[in-house]
Amino acid sequence: MLFKDKVNEIEVMQGVRSLTMTTAIKDVVTISGSLEGGSLYAPTDNKQIANIATAMIDKGTDQKDKYEISDILDSIGAEISFSSSSNHINFTAHCMKKDLKTIMHLIAEQLSTPSLKENELELLKTRILGNLERNKEDTRKQANIALLRKIYYPDHPNFRSTVDESIELIKKISIENLQNYHDQVFGLGSVRIASVGDVEPDNLNSIIKDSFGVLKTQNLPDISEFDIAQKSVEHKESIHIPDKTSADVYIGQSIGIDQDHKDYIPLMMAIYILGGNFSARLMQTVRDKEGLTYGIGSSISSASYKRDGYWSTWATFSPELIEKGIESTRKQINLWTSNGVSQSEVETKKQTIVGSYKVGMDTTGGLANRILSNDEKGRDISYLDDYPNIINSVSIDQVNNAIKTYVDPLNLVEVSAGTL
Amino acid sequence: MSNNNLAPDGFNFIQESHGINEYNLKSNGLRVLTLSDRSAPVATFMVTYHVGSRNEAIGYTGSTHLLEHLMFKGSRNFNKEKGTAIWDELQSIGAQINATTWNDRTNYFEVVPSEHLEKAIAIESDRMRYAFLRDEDRQPEMTVVRNEFERGENSPFDVLDKNIWATAYQAHPYHHSTIGWRSDIENVSTDRLKEFYNVYYWPNNATATIIGDFETSEALELVKKYFGEHPKSDNPIPDVYTAEPDQEGERRVVVKRSGQTGIVGVAHKTPAGLHQDTYAFQILSKILTDGKSSRFYKGIVDKGLATSLFMYDFPFKDNGLFISYAFLTPNTDNQKVESIILNEYSKIANEGITENELKKAKAQISSDISFSRDGSYAIAGALNEALAIGDWKFYTNFIENINNVSVKDVQSIVKKYLVEDQSTVGWFIPKK
Repeated sequence: MLFKDKVNEIEVMQGVRSLTMTTAIKDVVTISGSLEGGSLYAPTDNKQIANIATAMIDKGTDQKDKYEISDILDSIGAEISFSSSSNHINFTAHCMKKDLKTIMHLIAEQLSTPSLKENELELLKTRILGNLERNKEDTRKQANIALLRKIYYPDHPNFRSTVDESIELIKKISIENLQNYHDQVFGLGSVRIASVGDVEPDNLNSIIKDSFGVLKTQNLPDISEFDIAQKSVEHKESIHIPDKTSADVYIGQSIGIDQDHKDYIPLMMAIYILGGNFSARLMQTVRDKEGLTYGIGSSISSASYKRDGYWSTWATFSPELIEKGIESTRKQINLWTSNGVSQSEVETKKQTIVGSYKVGMDTTGGLANRILSNDEKGRDISYLDDYPNIINSVSIDQVNNAIKTYVDPLNLVEVSAGTL
Repeated sequence: MSNNNLAPDGFNFIQESHGINEYNLKSNGLRVLTLSDRSAPVATFMVTYHVGSRNEAIGYTGSTHLLEHLMFKGSRNFNKEKGTAIWDELQSIGAQINATTWNDRTNYFEVVPSEHLEKAIAIESDRMRYAFLRDEDRQPEMTVVRNEFERGENSPFDVLDKNIWATAYQAHPYHHSTIGWRSDIENVSTDRLKEFYNVYYWPNNATATIIGDFETSEALELVKKYFGEHPKSDNPIPDVYTAEPDQEGERRVVVKRSGQTGIVGVAHKTPAGLHQDTYAFQILSKILTDGKSSRFYKGIVDKGLATSLFMYDFPFKDNGLFISYAFLTPNTDNQKVESIILNEYSKIANEGITENELKKAKAQISSDISFSRDGSYAIAGALNEALAIGDWKFYTNFIENINNVSVKDVQSIVKKYLVEDQSTVGWFIPKK
């Protein structure tokens, strides 16, 4: 199966691209869509406006209150959800084939005319503030926030506010803030819709055209500038959270490049060899051989859409084993940076990544997300067919050079959170 | 291939339901379920053992789960010494591989590029009877599992949930959670785990499920080739005979520890999963918590009293619990939310539900079922849970049974089961 043969792509109307893939599943369709937006486009003094404005989208429109919308969805067993990231407003839906028209009309109506009522905003704030309070006792979240605050400057999209800072920012948000953000961001211009399942492209595209005409044109503000993270300096931090039986640890640093850089895939493979799955080095040693943790792994994060990402190792340890666990983890990182990886490891991980890629095509949701993400990055659909070849063409020298260039084991940021 | 004449040599064709075929391997009683769907180049192979934490007792709680971990440490043909360790063999081809344990079952699965189906079958067969289960492997794995336990204990919800089950059940092994008690995880012997393996890990106590891109007769031949070498168990597989005594009054449990926000859980005993009333509970669950127009969303979340809700409505082999959980907003009083939950139950007991609510709940479940067929793993996973409660056709006949539920049925189960004397209420109270 080639994506370039199976995916029907068309600019349905100005500012709306539709990518449709028909599969053998019966009756159901999964939709994954986005428009450029998100926290990068929110005012610099309050990036939380992007999240709150998006969370208000399903709280009713000028035409229907939230209960009417919920009744429509419940009566046909469909679901629509909206979310905001740093670069996009995302929407996902699943529904029966016969209900596509209803769903597309509803998505367009919610995006174009949310009611943005004061009482709904206050209710939403209460819930979100409750969740944020809960995050204060979440060892993993607290360790991750501390890591990102150390690696990035405050103006960087990967920087994170503390929970208390987020709470204060959310409390300040007004309906006027949300309306202004909505007026600029929620419109036609960069809408992408990937639909996968029991779907007929011409029919769907005609429905999209009929539905999305209600949106005005997007008027995106300029993206605020940000500085690329500097190379980290060694830093250790321990966050005390009472009554926790397991601690979370992050060890990482910035890489200074994004997904489009030529070294990204060799570096990604190097980090996969270190801790990408159960048969990678960290799980085989720190967990399987030494029994120090239930879970440990390494990955690159937040490196898409021209953002310089970071690599990190994450693990959990019992408080009494944490010192031993960190020591063992660092030993593996040092071995990996000083000796590099072997030819057989590179070849095995190529097979793993290519095989996983195939397995990821098992669901309509997996396919829709893959098609949408590829298009958001401005890549031709054929990139999805070429990806296995790109992986297979990486050499061991490229992988080992990437480790030398982007990983500095003497200057890692290490954060632990728990009852330590 | 839908009748006995077409069953490959060595198999009996047992039955078909909604495209899924059941076979029985004549030589040893292994049940095999197949559904061929060639739309994506992927297949899922899953072995479900009909043993879970329900089969444990004091001193070896958590053994089913610890044993599941040791099953990855090597077997006769797949081990590190030979350079054929299970994780390496499967992850090198991009397979998704794992295992899970719950109250009534343990399952091992591989989602593989379809050309590698044989490898998955070979591995599962090998470890069914030839797992090493060495003491030198148990020792480091014990601390791994203990850290899994500790991670769970980090969560106020997990701790409250364990306390509710332990309070609601006194004799029946649902009393303890699948991960077990910490001291049992730390002290259970390798010999005890081996005994567990030798009692329950046999073809006649297992079901192999194959879903996805394969040709049925070829896949069954592979099953016969690998699993056919095992005999039936020498002894009958023992069943659990411990029954929970009747509950005679409300029970309450409170957990206090550091935290920021409270949780309320209101639990009631439900019938065994295969009881016809299970379907009305599934409808009730949707009406109470699914969607913004559900009763609890309107009455609790929309009033700013909770950030979210969770309905624990999973059917089990024996009587289970129907638990309404509310995750409270800061400074919300636990009692207030508990009262709202109980008042809603009383309201349904007295006034019933509306035809419109029933219609919406059925539409939601119907859509859920359609999406539960999205991908080979999703289907195998759903069959695994149906096998656990005692009949894989619980999955295939589910929507038909749901469609037979009436407004009266829902009112009737609320009157019958959601009563004070059958309840266990749990509160998590944060200490600041």
